[in-house]
Amino acid sequence: MATSNILSIGKTALNAAQVGISTTGHNIANASTAGYSRQVVVQSAASSQNFGYGYVGQGTEVSSVTRVYNDLLARQAINSQSVSAGLETYAANMSSIDNMLSDASAGLSPTLNDFFASVKALSANPNDPSTRQTMLSNAQSLVNRFHSTNSRLDEIREGINTQLSSSVGLVNTYAKQLSSLNDTIDKAISATGNQPNDLLDQRDQLVTELSKLIKTTVVPQGQGGYNVFIGNGLPLVVGTTSYNLTTASSPTDPSRLEVAYHSNNKTSILSTESLPGGSIGGLLQFRSESLDAIQNKIGQIAVSIAGTFNAQHAQGTDKNGNPGGNLFTIAAPIVNSNSNNTGSAVISSQVVDASAVTSSDYRLQYDGANYKITRLADQSVQTFASLPQTVDGLSFTQASGTINANDDFVIRPTLNAGNTLALAFSDVNKLAVGGPVLSSSANAGNTGSANLSALSVNSSYAASPLASPLTFTYTSGIPGTFAMAPSALPVTVTNGGSSTTYPPGAPITYTSGATISVGSLSFALSGTPANGDEFTVAPSASTGPSDNRNGLLLANLETKGNVQAIGSTTKNSYNAAFAQMVSGVGNKTRELKVTSAAEAQVLEQANTAMQSESGVNLDEEAANLLRYQQAYQAAGKMMQIASQLFDVLLNIR
Amino acid sequence: MRISTNTLYQAGFAKLSDLQSNQSKLQQQIATGRRILSPSDDPIASARALEVSHEKNVNNSFADTRKVAQLKLNTLEANLTSVTNLLVATQSSLVAAGNGALSNAERKIIGTELQGSLEALIGLANTKDAAGNFIYSGFKSDTAAFTATPTGATYNGDAQQQLLQVDPQRQMSVNVTGDTLFLNGSNVFSTLKDIVTLLNTPITDATTQANFTSGLSSAIGKLQGSVDNVLNVRTAIGTKLNELDALDVAGTDRDLQYSQSLSDLQDLDYTAALTDLAKQQTIIEAAQKSFVTTTSLSLFDYMR
Repeated sequence: MATSNILSIGKTALNAAQVGISTTGHNIANASTAGYSRQVVVQSAASSQNFGYGYVGQGTEVSSVTRVYNDLLARQAINSQSVSAGLETYAANMSSIDNMLSDASAGLSPTLNDFFASVKALSANPNDPSTRQTMLSNAQSLVNRFHSTNSRLDEIREGINTQLSSSVGLVNTYAKQLSSLNDTIDKAISATGNQPNDLLDQRDQLVTELSKLIKTTVVPQGQGGYNVFIGNGLPLVVGTTSYNLTTASSPTDPSRLEVAYHSNNKTSILSTESLPGGSIGGLLQFRSESLDAIQNKIGQIAVSIAGTFNAQHAQGTDKNGNPGGNLFTIAAPIVNSNSNNTGSAVISSQVVDASAVTSSDYRLQYDGANYKITRLADQSVQTFASLPQTVDGLSFTQASGTINANDDFVIRPTLNAGNTLALAFSDVNKLAVGGPVLSSSANAGNTGSANLSALSVNSSYAASPLASPLTFTYTSGIPGTFAMAPSALPVTVTNGGSSTTYPPGAPITYTSGATISVGSLSFALSGTPANGDEFTVAPSASTGPSDNRNGLLLANLETKGNVQAIGSTTKNSYNAAFAQMVSGVGNKTRELKVTSAAEAQVLEQANTAMQSESGVNLDEEAANLLRYQQAYQAAGKMMQIASQLFDVLLNIR
Repeated sequence: MRISTNTLYQAGFAKLSDLQSNQSKLQQQIATGRRILSPSDDPIASARALEVSHEKNVNNSFADTRKVAQLKLNTLEANLTSVTNLLVATQSSLVAAGNGALSNAERKIIGTELQGSLEALIGLANTKDAAGNFIYSGFKSDTAAFTATPTGATYNGDAQQQLLQVDPQRQMSVNVTGDTLFLNGSNVFSTLKDIVTLLNTPITDATTQANFTSGLSSAIGKLQGSVDNVLNVRTAIGTKLNELDALDVAGTDRDLQYSQSLSDLQDLDYTAALTDLAKQQTIIEAAQKSFVTTTSLSLFDYMR
């Protein structure tokens, strides 16, 4: 045992105090660095030496500098992070719709009210040109309001596409950084056997950032490697390899970007359900759950207004005594054939009963034998052996080509309707406020009890109005038949769901109550006719400018049930349908605000728990500084004493 | 529990931020006077408010229609007053014409006067309203209701009733067609024309005297029938105007109720809101002070 030993003990103490001070300094410097975990010096007594009379200590040694990090807490924080980010994104997007509807003067309601007020004014003053002009102008305002509402929703939709693209880019960047950090960390550990604390922090911070975008799961592997999985278990980083996400157009809607996974040179689109959480999940969920439904509901009201108004408008006569045609025009349902279809079939769809159209989209699939039409909103399925078919007021027709098994088509009757609604004319004289274009009569000499009812025309009647009366004469027999004169057109008889078309001149089998259609007009005959009974349908003699009969019927549409809610037996008025949509948006936004606030609270608690372990407390570091400073001073003093001891020996003469 | 310095700042900031956003919302509510700023604030009430304001608008549009109906009926009523006066004056002339002391020349003067009345009546029957529509032509309001003929006048209009929706459940006819007014029972124009011819025919013997007497008495009878008919129509119009007044009163009541419900649904309770604002103010100030106090505590301050 020598004084040199005392000196070397002093040196170890001095060294340890220095490491302590620099680690404390590092903690202070990074107190506000995101993702930083405080580091602590692990110090142990150096192994002592046996001098025969016992072991004498050899000072201290720094065994490692470790970060204070709790895996379990970190995993909780990451989970909560992606749930919270998803809800927050959903809520923020929903709020923008909520705010759009918040202004009482901004929704559809006020323009609808103005429009109908002017229809009523028109029916009270049918002959006043300025009242006619006001009605057309208000109709135009209504159309414009549909356009602006729809284009605001379209902007949000495009915003989602942009955000998805940039988020996917960010995910890919993080994936590359994570794989290269995996590599660096692995090498550092192999080379030194020590944990590179700051690199580990960086990698964990990347995982946190990634979890804000998408649900992220980490599985540790080997010596400190991270395998990272996203969504419902798709590998994003495996060791030092990273995979790419990409965006791709939906096969059934080219304007809709979906998130896709790229591996082995194959791009496969990921479903919304497989990508929960994170801002990406929030965006996808918002789009499929809320945005589509809201835009469809706006479009549904437009489809209903266009269809029901046109149908009523066509029944009347305009100021020039001509049949009223369409007041509004609107595009037919959008049909997208799946880009993976192998057949060449073109499917077309038309609105045949606007008041039966729902706000749902439809999928038509062919399995090789049957056509399956699925209403996507509630997944209700109807199967048919052939086309054309009518479902929920929509016709489904195979227009051309051949259909192959497993071909599918998505039909969107209402999505873009708010945008395509337009006025059919701007001439005030064409407003059909006057009474019906057709009249019907039974021959005075009829002896049977049959009568003609429900005489109506469709909106194409205006293009080819009836020029001369049609006479229907009954001939008794089994079955009884009708002959139509003149017999230039085919006659279609519809009873229940089935219809029969008779070529011109052929005797028409009589069925009481069936709907008889000739060209664009239709009516019903019911009761028991006698042999030789005659019924006549004739164009009405022109009425005068004060005729307001059709005007009254148009005004009545305001309170009629014309909008079909899915799965409901009663229909809503236009205004009630809109109010219901607003209430739906309000409820969903409120729910999201509440759940997203709750999840933010959970996240805050998880972060606080993590911070309470890993975060830097400056007071603690101050105390540590004092402690290491004192240790350093004490070690110095000890070395001074060792030196003095040595001097004592040297001074022995 | 160990607290990291970061948490101290973050928690303090988050709390302050929450308080400020609450205060900003209160301020917005106070500034707009509205309790519901967006549908999510109260989804049920905001949908209900849309429906109530729709009902209110519908109710108001019926009031507008009633104004049109009133205008039309009042125009008719004013015109029919003139028609009644004219017919009553004609009746007196007829009574005067029955005076046996009158000479042929004097009867002719009365005949000329009545010819004037006939023309005046055709003029009244062809009255246009303020918008330029012939009021007695039915739907054919761009066509004069009557044109004079050698035997009186012929009707050019139709028999259509113009109905107005004056209330959700009530369609009211607001026109009177010329045929029901002037041709109901007897043709008032023919009656007048016949009298004019009668008065212009000199009484020369017992036969002509007998013809005159019977013709006059039949004319007086027919004319009374026409006057009664006009008075019946006027009574019907008066009844309709009364009904419109009653509907207006009911409509105004409903409007008030709708306004009240809308206010209940949407409007802010200012007392509560202002009390809340003051409370929030106190909380924010306290939170700010405590934030500054807790964050200014540092061990470093004591290390010299």
